[in-house]
Amino acid sequence: MTVRWDLLLIPSFIFTFVLLTLSQTLFLEGSFYRDLGLGRTSDEFDFSNYLRAFTDGFYLTTLWITVKVSALAMIGTLVFSFPVAYVIARMRSRWGMILLSGIVVSTFITIVIKVFGIIIIFSADGWLNRSLMALGITDAPYTIIGTQEGVVIGLMYFTLGFGVLTLYSVVQTIPYSLEEAAEIHGASRIRMFWRVILPLSMPGLVAGGLMVFNMCMGAFTSAALLGGGKVFTLPVLIQRTIMMEVKYSMAGTLAAVLLVAVILINILSIMVLRRMRVARGVLA
Amino acid sequence: MKDLSIKTLGAVTMVAASMALVAPAMADGKFDGVTLRIATWGGSNKAAIESTLVPKFEALGGEIEFVTGSPQANFAKLIAARGRAPFDVMEILDAQLPDFAKTDYLAKIDLSKVPNTKDVPDWSYNEMGMASWITQETICYDTEKFADLGISAPTTYKDLAVPALEGRLSIPDITSGGGLANFAAISYAAGGDLKNVQPGLDLIKELNVLKFWSRGGETVTQFGTGDIYAAIVHAGWCVRAKKAGHPVQTVHPVIGDMAVGVQKYGRLGIMKSSKNYEAALWYVNEFIGFDNQFALATNTGVFPTNIKVAAKLADDPVLKQMLALDPAETGKQLRIDYTDADISAWVDQWTRAIVTN
Repeated sequence: MTVRWDLLLIPSFIFTFVLLTLSQTLFLEGSFYRDLGLGRTSDEFDFSNYLRAFTDGFYLTTLWITVKVSALAMIGTLVFSFPVAYVIARMRSRWGMILLSGIVVSTFITIVIKVFGIIIIFSADGWLNRSLMALGITDAPYTIIGTQEGVVIGLMYFTLGFGVLTLYSVVQTIPYSLEEAAEIHGASRIRMFWRVILPLSMPGLVAGGLMVFNMCMGAFTSAALLGGGKVFTLPVLIQRTIMMEVKYSMAGTLAAVLLVAVILINILSIMVLRRMRVARGVLA
Repeated sequence: MKDLSIKTLGAVTMVAASMALVAPAMADGKFDGVTLRIATWGGSNKAAIESTLVPKFEALGGEIEFVTGSPQANFAKLIAARGRAPFDVMEILDAQLPDFAKTDYLAKIDLSKVPNTKDVPDWSYNEMGMASWITQETICYDTEKFADLGISAPTTYKDLAVPALEGRLSIPDITSGGGLANFAAISYAAGGDLKNVQPGLDLIKELNVLKFWSRGGETVTQFGTGDIYAAIVHAGWCVRAKKAGHPVQTVHPVIGDMAVGVQKYGRLGIMKSSKNYEAALWYVNEFIGFDNQFALATNTGVFPTNIKVAAKLADDPVLKQMLALDPAETGKQLRIDYTDADISAWVDQWTRAIVTN
C-alpha cells in the first residue's frame, strides 16, 4: 500500500488559502468601490481609488519613499550582514555556532524593543550624542526620529539578522578549496573576494536582497515609530487609512498597489539578473 | 505531632468548607453571571477602572472584560461589525460625536437610573452619552531647558516658534487621541477656525517639531531623554512627567480672545446591541461617581467630570500646580464643537501639509 504523504499538504493549503488568499481577495474586491465615510462603501464598481492612487502626487511620492527606504535598507543590510555571515561560515571553532545562535535569538526580539533601543541610543542626552558633541564632531544632538535616514536604520535593524542567516547559508555553499586555490595562485584577499566569492554568492545575494527588500516594503513598526508622523511609507499610510480614517476601500487600493509594486520589482530584478548572467556567458 | 496534624487538617477543612459556603453568597447579586465588556483605553486609565469599578462589579456577581484600544480603533471595530459591537459600553471622544450621530449604534441611557448625574455639570450628559473624563490640553515645557536657553514661559502656541526650540517640540498627530482638539485650538489661535484650518497648518509647519506623537506617553519618555523641551499634550502627561522627576510645568494656552486653555472630553455610550443594558447603566453611573473619578484623576491627571472630585484635587500639590481647578478658570476653557468640522478633510490636509515625504 502506498502512503499518500502529499495529502498531508491539504490542511495547510486550506489554512493558508482561508487566512491569506481569502482575506486579500476581500480587500482587493473592496478596493473597487468608493469610500462613503464611516467605513461604508458605494455599491458601484469603479476605478476611482486606483485613479487617485496613480494620479495623486502624494500617493506616488509615498510609494517612491517606500521603495527608496526599502532599497537603501536592503543595500545596508547586505553590506553589513555579508562580512558577518562570511566570518561565521568560515569559522572552524564552536564559536561559529554560538555566534549564529546569538543571531537567531536576536531575531526573536520584538522589533518594538529593538526600535526603542535605537531611539534611546540616538536620544539627545544619550551616550552617542554626548560622545559626538564631546569630541566636537557635532554641535547639536543628532536625531533619527522623523527622518528618512532613521527609517532606513530601523529597517536595517529589523532585517539584519535575517540577512546574516540567509547569507550564511549562501557562503557555506562556496567550497573553501576555491579560496585556497585562488590564494595559491597569488590572488590577494580583495581580488579573491571580487573574482571568486562575490560572483559565486551573487544568486544568493540577490535572493537574500529581495527577501530583505520585500520585508522592508511591508514593514510597519520601524517606519511608524521612527518616522515620527513625518515620514510615511505605504504600510504606515495603509494603517492610518484603515484605523484612523476608516477608509477601507482606499486602504485596500493602497495595499494592492504595494503588493503589485513588490511583485513587479521582484520580477524585474530576476529578469535583470538573468540578462546579466546571459551577457556574462556570452562574454565568457 | 500526629494530633497537631489532625487538628490542623480539621481546621483547614472547616475554613475551606466555610469559604465554599460563603463565597457564592458573597458573589451572589444583581449581576450574577453577567460579563460586561468595556471598550476603553489601556494603560493607567484601565488600571484606575480595575482598582475601583471591577471589584464593585465582581461583588455583585458579574465580571468586567476590557476591549482595549483607542476610541478610533474601537469605532472602526464597531463599523466593521455593522454596529454589532463586541462590547457593551464604549468610550467615545468628543470629536466622534458627529459621526456617532449619523449612526444608530447607541442605546438611549435611562437617566433616572444614573443618580450620580447630580454631581456632574449639565453640559456633560444627555440620553446618548455621559462625559466620563475631561482632559486639559496644555503646553508642557521643561522649565530648566527654557531657563538655560533664555526663553520665557510660553503663553500660546506661537511662542514655541523660536529657533532655539526647532526640532525640540512634540505635538499630537492629528489621528491621535488629542490630535483633533489641539489642531482645532492651534487653528483658532493662529487666526483660523473649524472651516479654515490652513493658518493652523502654517503655524505647525513653522514650529518644526521633532515628532508628532501618537501616544501621549511618548512625550514623558522624550522629556526624559532630553529629545524635547516642550510638548503639546494633556496635563495628565505633564503630571506624569513631573512625577517621574522631570522639571516640567503646564501652560494653558491663550486661544486668541476666545479662551484660555483647551478641553477635550470622553463620553460613555451604551451599545444598542448590548444584552447587558442594566449592567451597562450601573457601569455608567459608577464611572461618574466619586471613587472612580477620584482614582482616574489622581492616577492619570485627567480632570474629573464629578464636581466634588474637582474640589478635592487641590489637596494634591502636583495636580494643583498642573491643572486648572478653579471653576472660573475651567469655565473659560475651549471645548470644540465638531458638528461643523469636516474631520476627513482636516486629516487629508494635515497629511499633505505635515508629512515631509
